[in-house]
Amino acid sequence: MIKLVNVSKSYKIDEETYFHALKGATVEIKEKEFVSIIGPSGSGKSTLMHLIGLLDKSTSGEILIQNKKVSSLSDDQISSLRNEFIGFVFQQFNLVPKLTVIENILLPTVYSRKKILYNPEEKAHNLIKTFGLSGKENSFPNKISGGQQQRVAILRALIMEPKLILADEPTGNLDSKSGSEIMNLLKQLNEKEKITIAVITHEKDIAAYGKRIIHVKDGKIV
Amino acid sequence: MNYFLFIIKSAFEDFRRSKMQTFLTSLGILIGVFAVVMLTAMGLGLKKYISDQFDALGKNTLFVAPGKLLESGGFGASSLLGNRFDLKDLNRLKRIRSIKAITPLASKSGEAKGTKKTEFVTIFFSSEAFFDISGFEIDKGRFLDKSDIDKRSKVLIAGPKIAEKLFGSINEALDKKVSIDNVTFTIIGVIKSKGGGGFGGPDYDSYFFGPYTTGFIFDPDKKFIRFAIKTDENVSISTVKEEVKKEMLRRYEDDEFSIVEPTEILSVVNGIFGIMNIVLVAIASISLLVGGIGIMNIMYVTVSDKTKEVGIRRAIGARKNDILFQFIIESIALSVIGGLLGLAFAALGVFAVQKFFPAYIDVMSVALALGVSSVIGIVFGVLPARKAANLEPVEAMRYE
Repeated sequence: MIKLVNVSKSYKIDEETYFHALKGATVEIKEKEFVSIIGPSGSGKSTLMHLIGLLDKSTSGEILIQNKKVSSLSDDQISSLRNEFIGFVFQQFNLVPKLTVIENILLPTVYSRKKILYNPEEKAHNLIKTFGLSGKENSFPNKISGGQQQRVAILRALIMEPKLILADEPTGNLDSKSGSEIMNLLKQLNEKEKITIAVITHEKDIAAYGKRIIHVKDGKIV
Repeated sequence: MNYFLFIIKSAFEDFRRSKMQTFLTSLGILIGVFAVVMLTAMGLGLKKYISDQFDALGKNTLFVAPGKLLESGGFGASSLLGNRFDLKDLNRLKRIRSIKAITPLASKSGEAKGTKKTEFVTIFFSSEAFFDISGFEIDKGRFLDKSDIDKRSKVLIAGPKIAEKLFGSINEALDKKVSIDNVTFTIIGVIKSKGGGGFGGPDYDSYFFGPYTTGFIFDPDKKFIRFAIKTDENVSISTVKEEVKKEMLRRYEDDEFSIVEPTEILSVVNGIFGIMNIVLVAIASISLLVGGIGIMNIMYVTVSDKTKEVGIRRAIGARKNDILFQFIIESIALSVIGGLLGLAFAALGVFAVQKFFPAYIDVMSVALALGVSSVIGIVFGVLPARKAANLEPVEAMRYE
């Protein structure tokens, strides 16, 4: 479903120096997979995640989504893909602080250009119920625990019924109990809802949740 | 949730969180809109006041005056040129069919002694037609009639102001005697107030009116300073003007008389005040510009405060235009809040000055104030909003 072919990413540090975060990576994530991408910090795994998530553009190489070249898509089309195709879960949760739990969950639907075939509010309420956040609908993110915030982030990722959930160190800011709760949640989503999951982590036991593990080191897939 | 509602709602929630900052940012626009609306209101009021003044001269009226009057000349100017017209002119003009009514006018000023006070007064000597031409209405007693003219009656109609000044009240003035230059007149009527008396218009309320034939007592040459004409409504005023001109040219040179239409004077005076008002409003608009720059400044701060939020929104699918729109809406809202407050203060201001100045706010200035503040919001919001829209999602999300 997503293929990276010989993809490199370099950042310009100054006029002459470039930092090569990713060097000719070729990765494929197949539909309904649960993949872990593991590597030490600075290995380029976050860059890899940004490229897979269409948050960043590669310096060279080609990214294909459903066999479509991303380089041929406009910024608006890429935005729509992020909106409809991919759901993000970040280490920092990245909820909008001034929006309530329910508003955060509904935020992607605000930007959706495709016709949503279900009632988003109703779906959001069902998700909140299912994922044990009842009563927190109108709380602001700073009033709930980290584990709850990450669950809100997962619900925000789920509201558009994406094909792929990309989780970047989803347990990084959580205690181990909340962390394993979140990981089990992702596992369930993969097994029951058949959603493709890619988790980026530096922890072996988190990576172990994946059915396939991709190792990244020094900007290369090993 | 509805897209527009959602975006507008989030803008206002931000304002609720930082009321002081919102108010201070809007203050520039507030002052600008206040000044512009206030000045426009005063300009409009002045214009209406002037045009009311000229309405006091009556509609469908023409004046024939000796000499070449400046377009803006009022009643007073021509008396400097001396009495020029005579009964022969009157009879000739009376023959013009499109003239519905005509009166000669002569004036006499002097001390008049009333029961309460002695005042320096002016009498206009005219025919009975003058009351119709000028649209006077009688308050007490009666107007002049034809027999007063024929009999050279020593009677006067008083304006309400002078009647009050000389005799204490309008009722007291009726049937009283008043002497000017040893000629004693009887007051037979008082007219209703006509207003007027400013910007070149005559202050009829302070005049006396008498039969022109009686006026000859003071002027053995039997001359008039002016003719006032009421034209036939079915004939265009310019046609009548041409006919009068043709008749007058038979006896006089072109530069020995003027035919004045009150509306002409009105348009000149209005033109002058219009330009003055435009200049004032233009100066006041500078504060709108300054206000706009203030909004731009705060919007840049807002964009940098919300960099992370923009990153998050972009990551979950907001397009560049969605971000652009969000910030422009916020900037418009800031500006329109200022505009509305400015309008409210201007309304209070107008209400306050109305006691001594004829200001009023019309729908146009309300629409303009809101329109202009919206435009300022867009113009000064575009650059910061573009900055926000062009943020790279990854970098924006990393921003703390």
